[in-house]
Amino acid sequence: MTDYWLSKLFFDLQHDAQLVADYRADMAAVIDRYRIKPEVRRALLDDDVAALSPLVNAYLLRFYFQVRGMPQDEFMARLHAMNAPVAPAEPAKAGHG
Amino acid sequence: MAKLVGIFAASHGPIIARDWETMPRDHRARLTAAFDEIGRRLRACEPDLLVVVSPDHWVNFFINNLPAICIGIGDEHDGPPEPFMKKVYPHAVLKGHAAFGRHLLQTALDNDFDPTLSHRLTLDHGTCIPLWRSGVDPELPLVPILVNDLEAPMPSIRRCFAWGRLVRRAIDSYPEPLRVAVLGTGGLSHSIGETTMGWIDESFDHACIDAFARGEERQLDAFLTEQLDRTGNGAHEIRDWVIAHAAAGSTGFELIDYFPSPATLVGAGFASWQAPAS
Repeated sequence: MTDYWLSKLFFDLQHDAQLVADYRADMAAVIDRYRIKPEVRRALLDDDVAALSPLVNAYLLRFYFQVRGMPQDEFMARLHAMNAPVAPAEPAKAGHG
Repeated sequence: MAKLVGIFAASHGPIIARDWETMPRDHRARLTAAFDEIGRRLRACEPDLLVVVSPDHWVNFFINNLPAICIGIGDEHDGPPEPFMKKVYPHAVLKGHAAFGRHLLQTALDNDFDPTLSHRLTLDHGTCIPLWRSGVDPELPLVPILVNDLEAPMPSIRRCFAWGRLVRRAIDSYPEPLRVAVLGTGGLSHSIGETTMGWIDESFDHACIDAFARGEERQLDAFLTEQLDRTGNGAHEIRDWVIAHAAAGSTGFELIDYFPSPATLVGAGFASWQAPAS
């Protein structure tokens, strides 16, 4: 589901070098200029690719993590990890005694 | 009357500009040869203007105002804004062709199409990488057509065929003796910013090329409509090839080169279509 304000932040960063500089200096302060939901704010501060990915256009996502300075290989690895099957939970071990 | 004198298509990708000097030598050589051939053929047809059909990579439009199709009808357009493009293609202003742009827009409106218009577009790497690498004269006037290839819902493939036929109708009905070429940019398969990023779907690309070569519109429409959502998101730019294809009359496709290019993340495709006989 597209998150408009997250998308707007990414779009603005693509167009405004001063905003990029501000963002690099103080991410939280810039995020607070937008109507970003708390869980999305957390994902931004954590560079959580998997949490942000479903919320924005994929091209904007790529651009954003370039702004964040994430190497392309790492960005791709984080995206690819979203395809990894979730390991089944280990069965509970029987207790002794 | 104006005349369609050349129809071309070429891939693009920011890495082609950003990492041109450092990419593997074999990739660079093959890209160079393909772009050079596009440029050679384009110059040989001596166009007076170039209609460039490209996506907009969030440069002119955002999701608060996102046209399916926008026609640039200004006398000038702004060159690429990306820092990596400014280094290799330092043209702050590119010439437009307002008279043909307006004629194309009016032809569209007269035929029940509803494009948006712009008197000044910013032409990003999608438009400018093929111009740069093909050595297109930066003074050649451009009429940009920006297609929403990036954000669903996008124009149907059927509608892109109709747009291509409309571009042709506008060329054929323009009253001045202009020589007009068409260049579609983008594709073939690639995957950007999604969980399959880096995937180049060669089977899609080869099937796509075969379908263009056969030319038959209904088969190509059915193939793309079915397959586009099953491959990487970058393949949606094939809409720009479809518009070029239909402008050519959906015939005369010739593949110049195709190769999967992991260094640039794209299935790199280059093609031309036979121009209609005089």
